[in-house]
Amino acid sequence: MKYILMMHCPKTGYDTFGAWPQKDIHAHIGFMIGLNKELRESGELVSAEGLASPQQAKIVRAGKDGTPVTDGVFPESKEFLAGYWIVDVENPERADAIAAKASAAPGPGGAPMNMPIEVRQVMSGPPEEMS
Amino acid sequence: MKYILMMTGTKADFDWYATWSKRDLQAQFAFMHSFNKELKESGVLVATEGLAFPNEAKMVRAAADGSPITDGVFPESKEFLAGYWIVDVETPEQAYQLAARVSAGPSPKDRGNQPIEVRRVMSGPPPEML
Repeated sequence: MKYILMMHCPKTGYDTFGAWPQKDIHAHIGFMIGLNKELRESGELVSAEGLASPQQAKIVRAGKDGTPVTDGVFPESKEFLAGYWIVDVENPERADAIAAKASAAPGPGGAPMNMPIEVRQVMSGPPEEMS
Repeated sequence: MKYILMMTGTKADFDWYATWSKRDLQAQFAFMHSFNKELKESGVLVATEGLAFPNEAKMVRAAADGSPITDGVFPESKEFLAGYWIVDVETPEQAYQLAARVSAGPSPKDRGNQPIEVRRVMSGPPPEML
């Protein structure tokens, strides 16, 4: 079963992160590298990506003639995807356990952040009766 | 340059989607299928995934002892990721062009073209942070 584990943050999230003491940033990134290595070695990691800062995010819509209309204005409350893992695990509990591990990544001063991680199953394709 | 193209929707949007007729859904799947095939053949497709419906979404936090605490309650306004494409293209404009194609995908009634969020995907943390 494939699950996606998503980290979200507000627009200011990256600025806050950038303002951490370098030691804390190093510890956080070191933790993430270690987690990815562990998941790769256990054979559970399908993919992991980090996204650029929300400052660079654009909303694109097709105009009448199909050409892209871009807009960079988002509501203050919008949660941006900061990054994700896709893991292939035996059961949903294992996905939750990995999410909890990521949730406890070290923050300022090395304390566990216990950040919320959204967990959802990834579909392998449209339902069979629809294709 | 890798870009991610994200389709998102609120719970209400997904409820609406669940009411589409089989014919409308098949038209959408056919569109997605040929779009993915085209991206694959042109060599720009890195990955694409569709996620389960938001009623299956959970928030997981670590408790003090590191064990998972799960919660399935989200604000009405929350935008859920429905699916995404990661494409490897030469310019951001190419990514916007592809997003516009998805934006204009078929739907049963005219609700306006769907917004697609586009953002660059990083290959790793900035070197100065390592």
